[in-house]
Amino acid sequence: MTDSTVAGAGKPITRAVLYGLMSLILYFLLYLFEDSILEFTARGGWYFIAPVALAFVFSYAHGTFTGHFWDILGIKAKK
Amino acid sequence: MELVTNFIPLSALDVTYLLVVGFIGGLVSGFIGSGGAFVLTPAMMSMGVPGIVAVASNICHKFPKALVGAIKRAKYGQVDVKLGIVLGISAEAGVIYGAHIQEGIKTAYGHAGSNLYVSVAFVVVLGIIGSYVLWDAWRVYRTGHADEEEKVSRLARWVQSIHIPGTMMYFKGLNARVSVLFTIPLGFATGMLAATIAVGGFIGVPAMHYVLGAPALIASASELVIAFVMGVGGTMKFAWSGLVDIRLAMIILAGSLFGIQLGAIGTTYVKPHMIKVVMGVIMVLVLVSRAIAIPVYLSELDLIEKLNPHLTEALKNISFVVLIAALAAGAAIVFASLWRGISVHRREAALAGAPSAAFAPSTVAAPMSPQLSPLGRFERFLVATDGSEYSAGAVREALSMARKCGARVHVVSVVASDAELETMGKQLLKKEFDTAQSHLESVRAQAAADGVACETHLIHGSDLHQEIVNEAERTQADLIIMGRRGRHGLARLMVGDTTVKVIGHARCSVLVVPRAAALTGRHFVLASDGSRYADAAAAAAGSLARHCQTPVTVVSVTRPVHSEERRREARHVVDRVVAFLKKEGVTAEGAVPHGLPDQMIVQTALDRQADLIVMGSHGRTGLERILLGSIVERVLNQTHCAVLVVKAA
Repeated sequence: MTDSTVAGAGKPITRAVLYGLMSLILYFLLYLFEDSILEFTARGGWYFIAPVALAFVFSYAHGTFTGHFWDILGIKAKK
Repeated sequence: MELVTNFIPLSALDVTYLLVVGFIGGLVSGFIGSGGAFVLTPAMMSMGVPGIVAVASNICHKFPKALVGAIKRAKYGQVDVKLGIVLGISAEAGVIYGAHIQEGIKTAYGHAGSNLYVSVAFVVVLGIIGSYVLWDAWRVYRTGHADEEEKVSRLARWVQSIHIPGTMMYFKGLNARVSVLFTIPLGFATGMLAATIAVGGFIGVPAMHYVLGAPALIASASELVIAFVMGVGGTMKFAWSGLVDIRLAMIILAGSLFGIQLGAIGTTYVKPHMIKVVMGVIMVLVLVSRAIAIPVYLSELDLIEKLNPHLTEALKNISFVVLIAALAAGAAIVFASLWRGISVHRREAALAGAPSAAFAPSTVAAPMSPQLSPLGRFERFLVATDGSEYSAGAVREALSMARKCGARVHVVSVVASDAELETMGKQLLKKEFDTAQSHLESVRAQAAADGVACETHLIHGSDLHQEIVNEAERTQADLIIMGRRGRHGLARLMVGDTTVKVIGHARCSVLVVPRAAALTGRHFVLASDGSRYADAAAAAAGSLARHCQTPVTVVSVTRPVHSEERRREARHVVDRVVAFLKKEGVTAEGAVPHGLPDQMIVQTALDRQADLIVMGSHGRTGLERILLGSIVERVLNQTHCAVLVVKAA
């Protein structure tokens, strides 16, 4: 019982760290290449795909991270 | 390239501001499905972002946020994806048409005309729908039905009953087939509102709930799907013109994803009417905000006298502050609900996890003496169950007690129905009957496994409490065992709880078992005011305690306003009952605390880690109970342990 609890608690933390890092890197890259990204995503026309795709990528990494974040803080949904 | 000049440089303060506003907006959106975004466009504009870029960036953060929120709430089984997509597609058409109208008004009447149109749309739509949503939430709360399953509105029942061949579609969230001829205009209106005031959900959620018949939680969760569909379309449109500032969108997203996860978690702890409370409060405050700004636009259009520039500035600032306050108020309610929900849940989980023993000592050979109480033979129990988690404790403890006492158990499930429902919602009623029947079957199987003689009764009627009382009379039950739904705050004072009504009307004693309570025979608390009703409770408690070898604490509460003579009298009452219990061979002690009777009784039970409170009932009903109040009722609403209400013969 204790073992499974410990093992169960370890996984969300690992995943939170993993996705947190991924999210951090994405935001860091956005900061680093701010001008070029802004210029590329604002070209208009078929380049509309760029902001849409970026939004999906960020939401995947950061969304998964934030989900685990509240989880490891003990704020979980009522079963 | 020229458009890039529309994008402003961002300072650390700007980023922090966007993160915070994004978080609060996300929190509200996660909870009510929308409503978090309306403040972001003016917030960005206040930083110097051009209006059109603010709108574009807002919508670009909105769709990934809605996607994450929808996935989260789908995990809780709250999302009807099909309903969201069907409404979302027609909403997209509404957005295009709404934007077209906006453009037309802007060309004809300029900026002020467009602003006036937006403000009037806000005031009219939010005034009507917001007030109704808030009134409905208050009505549910006041009538004490907050814990009960939501009723499908009369309008929704009518909509669900209309069959137009070739247009019908089944929606899981509604558990009904509805013609798309109803969903199309609703989605269209949602989209039009989204294009006008940036929050389509203020129409979408109430429409799904009141017109289509979706429960509030499903309506608010499915709105996230609509927001996603509309958001993707909107982002494509604006990004095609190169107007999205991806930095702004992603910074807001960073904060809002924390918020939306928390808001979604919050929905699992609250009663459905809280969705309406948050939505109604925000809508009415936003309405006030826009109403304050209307004179400014009227003045700019020369429809009224020119306003002083200072007054114009002041009105605009007040309007913006009220707008922020609307979002903050919504977020505060979500936070408070979440906090309270988690605290209550943890307390109940702790109680449920407490070590349990048998209600009666295992050394006593079964069947025990049926004459457990001198007031009535505990040979027949009537267990009232609605199949919900609130009845689970009652069923569990009833079977456990019956096994020990060798009692026969009658399990009754009452399906609420009235003439109107019987004619209009036959399918709905049949479904409820089937659900109740299968629940009764499972209880019967459980009883058989425990070796308990069990009969089940499925009945229907409009007055649940009356049906239960009648069934108790018919089966000549010695004890009614039922659960209760927790009430807090103002709801505690409200009248109308089925359990309380059963206690008021039943002739036999009633044992109320909250879902997490377990009758372990640890400690009993006996409340006494020296009346003959309390003496009856003392006799019953003595009998039970002797059989279970459980210590008893006798409590007689005095209020601080009571005279010294009244306190002496209370001490005398306690001494008398303690002496009686000791004579019965029960370990007993007395306590005469000062304070509010209900609070002191509950506190004593908590201090002694008691698992049963025994009280006598004056059996007051109707006006008398409203006027005099009921300590029993207030104890029931506050305690987490079982309460035995003994009726004097």
